[in-house]
Amino acid sequence: MAVPTPVTKLARAANPAQDRSGLFDEKFLKTLEHLHMVSRKVFSGNLRAERRTRKVGSGIEFADHRTYSRGDDFRYIDWNLYGRLDKLLLRLFEEEEDLHIYILIDVSDSMSIGSPLPKLHYAMQVGAALTYVGLANLDRVSIIPFGDQLTDRLPLSRGKNRIFRVFDFLQKCPIGGKTSLADCMKDFVTQNKRRGLAVVISDFYDPAGFEQGINTLRYYKFEPFVLQVYDLKEASPKLHGDLALVDCETGETKEVTVSKSLLEAYEREHEKYCKELEAYCTKYALPFFRTHTSIPFDELVLKIFRSGGFLR
Amino acid sequence: MSLLGPIGLSMWMWFAAGAAALVVSAYIIKMRRRRFEVPFAQLWQRVLQQKDANSLWKQLKRLISLLLILGILGVILFAALDPTLGAVDRKARSVVILVDASASMKAMDGDEGGTKSRMDIAKVKAKSLVDSMGGGDLAMVMKVDGQATPMSRFTNDGPMLDKIIDDKVTASDTPADIVRALGAAADALRDRPNPLIVIISDGAYPDDQLKRVDWGNASTAARDLAAVDLSKFDVRFMPVGRRDDNVGIIAFNVRRYIANKAAYEVFIEIENFGKKPAHRLLTLYNGQTAVDSKQIDLLPGQHIRQIYPKIPGGEDNQLRASLRPPRGSDSEGSTDAFPLDDTAYALLPARKKQRVLMVTENNLFLEGALLVYDNIDPLKVTPAEFAAKPALADDMDVVIFDDYTPETLPAAPTSLLFFHPTGSHSPFAIRGEVSAPKITEIDEGHPVMRWVSMSDVYMDKSEVFAPDPKKGESTLAFSVTDPIVVAKRDGRRKILAFGFSLPSANRDAATDLPMRVAFPMMLVNTLDWFAGDQADLLTTYATGQRERVPLDGVVGATEAEVKAPDGTITKTPVLDGLATFYGTRVGYYDLTAKAPDGKPLASISLAANLASPSESRIAPSLELTLGGRKLIAPEAFSITHSQKLWIYLLLFATGLIVLEWITYHRRITV
Repeated sequence: MAVPTPVTKLARAANPAQDRSGLFDEKFLKTLEHLHMVSRKVFSGNLRAERRTRKVGSGIEFADHRTYSRGDDFRYIDWNLYGRLDKLLLRLFEEEEDLHIYILIDVSDSMSIGSPLPKLHYAMQVGAALTYVGLANLDRVSIIPFGDQLTDRLPLSRGKNRIFRVFDFLQKCPIGGKTSLADCMKDFVTQNKRRGLAVVISDFYDPAGFEQGINTLRYYKFEPFVLQVYDLKEASPKLHGDLALVDCETGETKEVTVSKSLLEAYEREHEKYCKELEAYCTKYALPFFRTHTSIPFDELVLKIFRSGGFLR
Repeated sequence: MSLLGPIGLSMWMWFAAGAAALVVSAYIIKMRRRRFEVPFAQLWQRVLQQKDANSLWKQLKRLISLLLILGILGVILFAALDPTLGAVDRKARSVVILVDASASMKAMDGDEGGTKSRMDIAKVKAKSLVDSMGGGDLAMVMKVDGQATPMSRFTNDGPMLDKIIDDKVTASDTPADIVRALGAAADALRDRPNPLIVIISDGAYPDDQLKRVDWGNASTAARDLAAVDLSKFDVRFMPVGRRDDNVGIIAFNVRRYIANKAAYEVFIEIENFGKKPAHRLLTLYNGQTAVDSKQIDLLPGQHIRQIYPKIPGGEDNQLRASLRPPRGSDSEGSTDAFPLDDTAYALLPARKKQRVLMVTENNLFLEGALLVYDNIDPLKVTPAEFAAKPALADDMDVVIFDDYTPETLPAAPTSLLFFHPTGSHSPFAIRGEVSAPKITEIDEGHPVMRWVSMSDVYMDKSEVFAPDPKKGESTLAFSVTDPIVVAKRDGRRKILAFGFSLPSANRDAATDLPMRVAFPMMLVNTLDWFAGDQADLLTTYATGQRERVPLDGVVGATEAEVKAPDGTITKTPVLDGLATFYGTRVGYYDLTAKAPDGKPLASISLAANLASPSESRIAPSLELTLGGRKLIAPEAFSITHSQKLWIYLLLFATGLIVLEWITYHRRITV
């Protein structure tokens, strides 16, 4: 009987659940406050919901311009500016609404991989930041971790004083397991009748594919907001030699002899997979962000703010 | 090409098949891989599916790697068969390599620059011979100087033979005895298959030696019984050496004058063996002191004899002659390639004045005879004075008792000479008296009787002794059968007794011996014998010749120590007081005979010189004619043409291993 050799983990934290204690420190809190201040610059109005998101075409008050991107509605292109500047710019209008925000964080085993920061930690920091901004803008925010099923949830809350419950929840929620986006989203839409913004933070490494899960959100009139997190070392691994590659979630083993050409092929395949996700989101006009863990989370959040879709 | 390896072909094939099966098995068995955890194996699966499109090439690459390893294995196994290119005599030979280690092989003309000796080149040739041996060939290395010394047994162990040639074969200072060596080689090769003798030499042998070889052509009647029978042997010759210019001392000897032993004369013979005129500065040293120095000029082939007469004795008894380039001369004609014969050594016999005590009543014959001898310090007392004070003999070297026999003999090592001892205190037993004896026989071999004639000597009467040979007593003169002159060794001293009286005041007709020339001669001989000084004793010998050297006063010792010029000490047998001396180096030797308890009994110093014109004639012979047959040149020596391939095959295999290593790590054959 063959004795399996020890598995070398790809930059995976020894035990991410226990490492989460220092995830939300005072510095993190100050960063959140700064993000909130930034978000308020785009806020005006006196409605129940104090936070606005930039939404094209649904309001009457001009807010800003932004660069046209593929899939935008032609009706909102500022043709006067095009005539003057020869640039396609979109006019943005502000519309107030009472928003439910669902932060769905992938806590499967694949998210535990990453160095120096596991993807899971990065996802939780981004999720906490978005939650804080949402809470501060008096939106109703809920956090739902998912893997192959929905194991726990932070109920809908409002008000930024709830942020510490959020931190506590994220530090203690169970993690691990496989990824089953379709099943989890199906459970989510069943359990949450109130429509709203569904921010999905994941690496989208689902053997069954990501489409069905996101489609479920679309079909049930949620507004999916796709945020893909990956680690640079998993996109460009530094491997060589004869290896048995073990899937950290399924345990599936692939025997490979890693050569330079194989690594290049893998990098191309990884990029292709990410592009497929991006193309899918673009196709259905879903906000999509792809980031790696080396980018500071606040920078990502600001990028999200600037692009619109989250703040309206 | 031939395969000379020790492994049989069938066994080799089995071994190769097994090794190939092992290699293929190693490629078939599943590789144990390092396990590595990845977040999403499906991506790798997709990549591998694309790669599988090239699976044929992938398998081919593995096949190339396998073939590469099989190739490496094949090359190594092929090397084990010891493939050899060229003409190889498949009949296993028995080879005796005779390496000339005589003095002429020390000539520094092995190469153009004069940095290597002939012996260095001979070693190189011997080793190349050993290295070119085939698988079944056996070789023995034999060193040839004055003796023939086998340095190894018959073996095919090339590295061992090479090491023996390097470490153990060194040139000595003796002439070569090629006949003895050929005889030893023939004995060693007898009944061995395909015998072969290879002589590696400069060919500097005396003509008489070269003729003493029998190839089986001569008729039985004309056959030289001393010749070596080489009729069944193949003998080859490999020459070494380049230069022929040499000036050497071929003779160097010294002797004391018999009448004046404080002075000595020296004889030197020098020869120019080259083909050009030569100039040298000849210097004679006594110890470290230069006694004489003169320039000599020699025409080609000229030899000169030089005698240095009446050289007064110095404190040192070591003499040395040296040839050097004249001052201010250039190197042309003033140096040669063979420095060994530029220095010669000689020894003067040790000499000292003896204190002689005469116990006599004013015997003018005795006193007058002793006066002719310079090397004594005589003292005279009367028998009454001696009887009153026997201690007078304590510091004496010799005591002469004239017609007087003391009650107690002086203690050793004082030697004693008696004229007409009487009574029971006589050192020799007396068995009677004879009237008017005639000396009919003398022992001419005894030092006392050397150059002495005692025929017709008159004596009125004489005691007759009864010498006991078991006690070392011998008779020097007989009257028919009556011993009347006897001698013996008594430990370190010697005792001589004449049975008759010398003429004196009251017996003036006792004998007429003092009137004869023999008397002073006999006295001098006696004193010299007592002192251990022999006028004909040679202390200078030639190297490479076995000599018997007298060790004075040695009784009972069976061997002596020989201290060579280089400080090494060896043992040599002693028989009848004669030690066997065989010098292998030029210079001074010390021979010491010791008692069983380690006390020195006697010692003698000797000098040894090359003194061999045939060795000093260093002109190399490019061809050698033995017994009228010219030996075949080494170009015809077939086994020297072979070329071993195993080293190249191993280098090729190493190259393949490096190639495989590179292609594996560059993932070309993975």
